[in-house]
Amino acid sequence: MARWGMVIDLDRCTGCQACVVTCKAENNVPVVTPREAQAGRLMLWMTVIPEVEGEFPRVRARFTPRPCMQCDHPPCVKVCPVQAMTKSPEGTVSHVFARCIGCRFCVQACPYGVTYFNWQAPTWPKDLRESLNPDFAIRPTGVVEMCDFCHHRLQHAREEARAEERDVRGEGEYVPACVQACPARALIFGDLDDPNTAASNLAHSPRAFRMLEDLGTSPKVYYLKEG
Amino acid sequence: MQTTHPQAFDRDDVLFAPVLRTGRGFYAAVAVLLAVAAWGAYAYTTQLRYGLGVTGLNRPVAWGFYIVNFVFFIGISHAGTLISAILRLCNAEWRRPITRAAETITVLVLFFGLGSIIIDLGRPDRLFYVLQYGRLQSPLLWDVTSITTYLTASTLYLYMPLIPDLALLRDRARGWRRQLYTAISLGWRGTPEQHRRLERGIAVMAVLVIPIAVSVHTVVSWVFSMTLQPMWKSTIFGPYFVTGAIFSGMAALIIAMAAVRRAYHLENYLKPVHFNSLALLLLTMSLLWFYFTFAEHLTAYYGGELAEGAVLFAKVTGPYAPEFWAMVVLNLVIPLAIMANRRTRTVAGIVTASASVLVGMWLERYLIVVPTLANPRLPYARGLYFPTWVEWSITAGAFALFILLYMVFTKLFPIISIWEVREGRELGIQEAYERIESYLPGPGVGAGGPIALR
Amino acid sequence: MKLTRRGFLGWTGAVAAAAAGAQTVRAIGDLQAATYEAELPPRGIEGWVASVCQQCPGGCGILVRTITGVEDGVKRAVKIEGNPHHPISRGSICPKGLAGLQALYDPDRLRGPLKRTGGRGQGQWQPVSWDEAIATVVQHLQGLRARGEAHTLLLMAGQVRGLMQSLLLRFLDAYGSPNYLSTASGCEAAQQTLLLTQGIAAPIASDLENSAYILSFGAGLLEAGWSPVRQARAYGHLRQGTPGRRGRLVQVEPRLSVTAAKADEWIPVRPGTDGALALAMAHVIVSEGLFDREFVEAWTFGFEDWRDPAGTTHLGFRSLVLNDYRPEAVSAVTGVPIQTIVRVAREFAATRPAVALAERGAGFYTNGLYNRLAIHALNALVGSIEIPGGTVIQRRPPLTPLPPVTRDAAAVRGLAAPRIDGAGTSNSPLASSALPWLPEALRTGSPYRPNALFLCYANPAYSVPEFVRSPDLLDRIPLIVSFSPFPDETSRHADLILPDHTYLERWQDDPIEATWGPAVLGLRQPAIPPRHQTRHTGDVLIQIAQGLGGAVAAAFPWKDFGEVLKGSLRDVAGTQRGLIMTTPFEEARQRRQADAGFWLPTYKTFDEFWSQVAERGGWWDPAYSFGDRERAFRTASGKFEFFSQTLRQRLETLARRGPASGGGLEGVLRALDIRARGDRVFLPHHEAPRFVGDEKEFPLHLIMSKPMSLASTRTANHAWLAEIPDVRTSRPWEIAVEINPETAHKLGVKDGDEVWLESPAGRLRLRARLYQGIAPEVVHVPFGSGHGAGGRFAEAWGANPNRLVGGEADRLAGTPALFATRVRITKA
Ligand SMILES: Nc1nc2c(c(=O)[nH]1)N[C@H]1C(S)=C(S)[C@@H](COP(=O)(O)OP(=O)(O)OC[C@H]3O[C@@H](n4cnc5c(=O)[nH]c(N)nc54)[C@H](O)[C@@H]3O)O[C@H]1N2
Ligand SMILES: Nc1nc2c(c(=O)[nH]1)N[C@H]1C(S)=C(S)[C@@H](COP(=O)(O)OP(=O)(O)OC[C@H]3O[C@@H](n4cnc5c(=O)[nH]c(N)nc54)[C@H](O)[C@@H]3O)O[C@H]1N2
Ligand code: SF4
Ligand code: SF4
Ligand code: SF4
Ligand code: SF4
Ligand code: SF4
Ligand SMILES: [Mo]
Repeated sequence: MARWGMVIDLDRCTGCQACVVTCKAENNVPVVTPREAQAGRLMLWMTVIPEVEGEFPRVRARFTPRPCMQCDHPPCVKVCPVQAMTKSPEGTVSHVFARCIGCRFCVQACPYGVTYFNWQAPTWPKDLRESLNPDFAIRPTGVVEMCDFCHHRLQHAREEARAEERDVRGEGEYVPACVQACPARALIFGDLDDPNTAASNLAHSPRAFRMLEDLGTSPKVYYLKEG
Repeated sequence: MQTTHPQAFDRDDVLFAPVLRTGRGFYAAVAVLLAVAAWGAYAYTTQLRYGLGVTGLNRPVAWGFYIVNFVFFIGISHAGTLISAILRLCNAEWRRPITRAAETITVLVLFFGLGSIIIDLGRPDRLFYVLQYGRLQSPLLWDVTSITTYLTASTLYLYMPLIPDLALLRDRARGWRRQLYTAISLGWRGTPEQHRRLERGIAVMAVLVIPIAVSVHTVVSWVFSMTLQPMWKSTIFGPYFVTGAIFSGMAALIIAMAAVRRAYHLENYLKPVHFNSLALLLLTMSLLWFYFTFAEHLTAYYGGELAEGAVLFAKVTGPYAPEFWAMVVLNLVIPLAIMANRRTRTVAGIVTASASVLVGMWLERYLIVVPTLANPRLPYARGLYFPTWVEWSITAGAFALFILLYMVFTKLFPIISIWEVREGRELGIQEAYERIESYLPGPGVGAGGPIALR
Repeated sequence: MKLTRRGFLGWTGAVAAAAAGAQTVRAIGDLQAATYEAELPPRGIEGWVASVCQQCPGGCGILVRTITGVEDGVKRAVKIEGNPHHPISRGSICPKGLAGLQALYDPDRLRGPLKRTGGRGQGQWQPVSWDEAIATVVQHLQGLRARGEAHTLLLMAGQVRGLMQSLLLRFLDAYGSPNYLSTASGCEAAQQTLLLTQGIAAPIASDLENSAYILSFGAGLLEAGWSPVRQARAYGHLRQGTPGRRGRLVQVEPRLSVTAAKADEWIPVRPGTDGALALAMAHVIVSEGLFDREFVEAWTFGFEDWRDPAGTTHLGFRSLVLNDYRPEAVSAVTGVPIQTIVRVAREFAATRPAVALAERGAGFYTNGLYNRLAIHALNALVGSIEIPGGTVIQRRPPLTPLPPVTRDAAAVRGLAAPRIDGAGTSNSPLASSALPWLPEALRTGSPYRPNALFLCYANPAYSVPEFVRSPDLLDRIPLIVSFSPFPDETSRHADLILPDHTYLERWQDDPIEATWGPAVLGLRQPAIPPRHQTRHTGDVLIQIAQGLGGAVAAAFPWKDFGEVLKGSLRDVAGTQRGLIMTTPFEEARQRRQADAGFWLPTYKTFDEFWSQVAERGGWWDPAYSFGDRERAFRTASGKFEFFSQTLRQRLETLARRGPASGGGLEGVLRALDIRARGDRVFLPHHEAPRFVGDEKEFPLHLIMSKPMSLASTRTANHAWLAEIPDVRTSRPWEIAVEINPETAHKLGVKDGDEVWLESPAGRLRLRARLYQGIAPEVVHVPFGSGHGAGGRFAEAWGANPNRLVGGEADRLAGTPALFATRVRITKA
């Protein structure tokens, strides 16, 4: 069975944030007001984190795109009292909105801070509502949401593969929205267990590392450092 | 039951008085508390209607006042059942007038602990999913389980020693009250058989309730320490929380005692010696608490781990420093200053110290929850937390409602266990005599002899 | 009942409790109400439409996912993605492109033609019918022509190209006005660089993918520039595209932009001194003999000192840089260490292919054009012109030319009038449009008063400093017609708004202009039918022309824009080259065939061609013949000219013609405020920049940039973008001024403080963000937010730095010197 993973090449990433916006569009992630955003309630399943080091004129900046790490040992799943956070047999972690009681325990458990809570019911101006993606429910108030590797795209690919009585191909068939959009091709996606995919090869490259690897969460998102 | 001290019976009238007569001050207090509670309820409806967005919670500080209250209330609950059980099992005679007041706190406050969690939920309407889809691996589920167990046990433990008093009341009250007491006193006649069974039951419960109580706050601590968050992931969180719980619980108990003593003129029952004993216990707990706090922070500091350090310094020198140092003063300096000194260890002094501890322990809970969340392991989403009127109101409402319910309890049931006090009077003298005998020089009676004989 | 205090209190409590109880019950009811529950957007039948983005000049191919509702039959656009067939973007897309849905579904967009009812700028409107609106315009324009004032019609356009631009120009041509004004004239200076050095008025493009060393002087490669997505793709390729090879990128710029951050090296430079730096590098390359001798000898003019037919000796580039631009001296001017200059110059010369890029960073100063010339001279030194990995000239698609216009007498008379902005004269001899001089013309009524203004894709009340500060200057024009689909700042001052469709609702060609070599023609087509009573501006123009009758109508013989479009593609179908956009695999196959001499089209008839182009998103011709020097050098010498004979000829013509400036060439130079004299005028050199604001009073330089997620007014009302304005320092819904911590410390400013930015022109309140990546004497504000109109989100946040920008310009190029303003900062 496939084990889907993402490789993020920090050398290539230009911090353009296409991944951020495409994710919002793909997953109907609500926009919040400026006031709410200032209060720390911005919702970006994917965000690009800038880090600036050094002093003028010797300064470096790095841009780190951060989706859900899709941990193989996801603490968020363990702590959820109602099994709303789930890990699929293929290893993707996703979230059942309809079951979440909004305790935000998963938020505390996730060391990567990738879970978002719906502090209020999302509101869309009438016109903007028209552009919502029908593949994905709008979340009600009071539940958590987070990047699920565009689970609906996996389902879609699975259905197509099933119709042809085969497995989803390890590369190219199931592609999350952010990976698809990235202009610098900094995001690479595929089956980590299939040695023929670019993702699994890069995950074994000497440049590869994972965020907070020592915590033992075993993320399926690999980063490639610069150089 | 046989009474050997007729004049004592007269004196015990004052214990029945609150149940049978109600003064003006009571209603005034009820009105005020009710208004505050109603305001809290209104705040909660606002929250229900617009979502948790009306609070000051955010990312990364997704838990705030409600979770602080939850930990605090559950902590307070250790005032009652646990202390009373320990004292009972140790046969501490001076416990008699205070067990009921303590146990009542436990039972009532547990509702507020659970309630705080429900208030904190984004989707309280889906509460029962916890039963339907419960995941055993989740510490939150352990919490639900242990707290309900504790609540059941504590209720039983409160109820059983109440039965004889209910019977006493049944004989004095009239009207609906009489019917009520008749129903719930379960036909208590005070026969030796009934006494034997009751005492056995109480003893069993006392034994049972101690591990349950310890587990409850341990599990509460595990909600935090089962995560990977800096300064939450700690092995001593269990005992640390339990210590803190007993500490704050005792402070709450002292204040409750002082309040009923004052309101119902129970100076003859709740004597300085009771306060003194509790004060010494409180003092011990204060030191114990400090020991844990010190250990906890020292290890965080010494390891020098970045994420832990960020939280630590946010507390000690950073934006949470005022709260942190206030906590140290309130939990250690003030109690120590007041209670280590015999001259200031008066009832008023002890009550002051207890109030200080209560506030301090609330701050301690706050400082456990918030700074860690505000300084997550990855430095990406730093944040601060400013509660809104909704959280303040709900918190105030919860405290008001708790006090209110406590007051109402004193109006329905004697807040001092009448039969136990009476029993104490009889047994006490004899027992004291025997105990003294046991260690006074003399023939034949070895250590534990008379007690073993009894 | 007797009311005792006790009773009263009791009742109060009871009432409060009851009220709270009732509230709770109600709220729980709400909780179950539909709004609380998850809902699924309408499902339906999926479709994909290939089109072209228009959120910036990038020209990326897009695929729009549409859902036609099963229940309501409404077709909705639900997602924009990259079109993998489009060669510019190959399936990639940027945040602005993705946010295009928020242009289409902008809750504040205009829903039909509007007529002003209130005062100018008050934003009071009344809907009118299209017929009435067009009749009003026609009537006014007819009046002008009748009075012999056709030239007083101004047409102001921004980033618009292809047939739409052709029609706009054609309209003026047939109508009789020389006044095509461009708000995008700042980007035009790149064309002038090529004009002066290679004799071609086209933007410099580059073959970035194949470069091994990119030396960028303030080009916003990873955020702005001509095609942000293509540049980002090229960057990715440069980095990890070829195993074992990693191209170098060096960014010269006063602040650590995203490009600088991602570069291998960042060289902070003092604002406006790029020309000097480039010439110092040239000094190193020349003095150490590192230049491409072969190329320089065979294909350049004016490298060595030379003698003209009259026998006068002229200064050559070699002597110029050797004498004037020693690294020691330049280091003091630019603030760049000598060692850095020397090292980078050596690297640049030693790595092949290497390319030096100039964009507006070097160009938006009073010496902008000379800076650009100096930088392009580096390319000539290392022979990086028309080679893979060097600079190229973008090919244009072979569209069928529009039939020539037959002008009537009124048109001839109108076209004979001078331009209102004096472009092409001693104002700005090289410019085709010189917006910096328009405000003055409006103020003084000289050379004449304009009587009508058309606004197409331009929003000067936001993008042009003078009009930002005094938009009422526009009010002196009796009729202003805006074609914008959005209620932007300038449209507020219009008399009529005739809203265009958004780019996702219309047919349009999109020829790539200034990006790389091959000719690319994207096709924009409606993703969904127009949502409102809007009309294609091309159609409206045709209708106005036809309303005007006579020769003007005759110049617009088409039914609608669609007909123009289809007609123009006929030649493309027939050229026997190029291919319809497709997968790289298929492309390779077709190209192999073409190389072998078989050009096997995938279509037989034009209709087939058309439907395939529409399905795939466009046509392109991957073939680009590098080394075609004939095509690349159209100068008098037929070579790359260090010494620009074109410039010399233009200036001398002016000197001969213009009595305005009086004393011959000297007068011209004085009018243009050029300080160099003699041969240096025609050679790349460093002109000391002028700045607005006294250095003592206003100690800081204000510079701007276009962050990846903002594009001036086009993305103004897109909430998705307002959440992520600038990846380096901004917070959601916040535009901040970046200050070096050292400077901030001196000013007592802390991170997040509100500060006042003041220049001689105005002041602006902003939040300060301390940033190590900016030179201490420089502050930076991103451009694209702070709108005074344009919708609920546009108006909710940000700040427009144009409020501070003074009126300096590069007079030679006719471009605004937008970065040449000094400011001071005080705590708010
Ligand atoms: N995202 C986005 N892309 C766009 C556009 C947009 O609005 N948004 N607009 C398009 C248009 S119209 C144009 S003209 C192009 C513009 O494309 P560019 O010119 O590439 O982009 P800008 O960001 O305007 O460039 C200004 C840069 O110059 C730097 N700079 C300032 N002063 C100096 C200096 O003295 N020397 C040097 N070396 N650098 C300096 C600034 O730090 C800034 O990074 O972008 C196009 N692409
Ligand atoms: N301070 C400062 N000022 C600058 C710059 C800077 O870097 N700093 N950059 C300068 C540069 S390089 C440029 S190019 C200019 C850009 O400035 P402008 O050319 O004025 O471009 P925008 O501000 O994007 O305005 C585009 C207008 O077109 C309208 N529009 C959008 N879509 C359509 C459509 O489909 N049809 C029609 N008919 N109209 C449409 C929009 O509503 C908007 O009014 O700004 C310049 N001004
Ligand atoms: S917030 Fe929802 S998903 Fe997260 S732990 Fe609670 S119930 Fe589970
Ligand atoms: S990154 Fe966080 S939310 Fe995602 S799987 Fe890991 S623990 Fe869960
Ligand atoms: S994988 Fe999908 S859900 Fe996750 S960040 Fe990318 S686009 Fe968003
Ligand atoms: S889209 Fe790609 S290049 Fe852009 S920020 Fe995301 S990962 Fe980086
Ligand atoms: S770069 Fe420009 S054209 Fe390309 S997707 Fe972005 S906004 Fe659209
Ligand atoms: Mo531009």
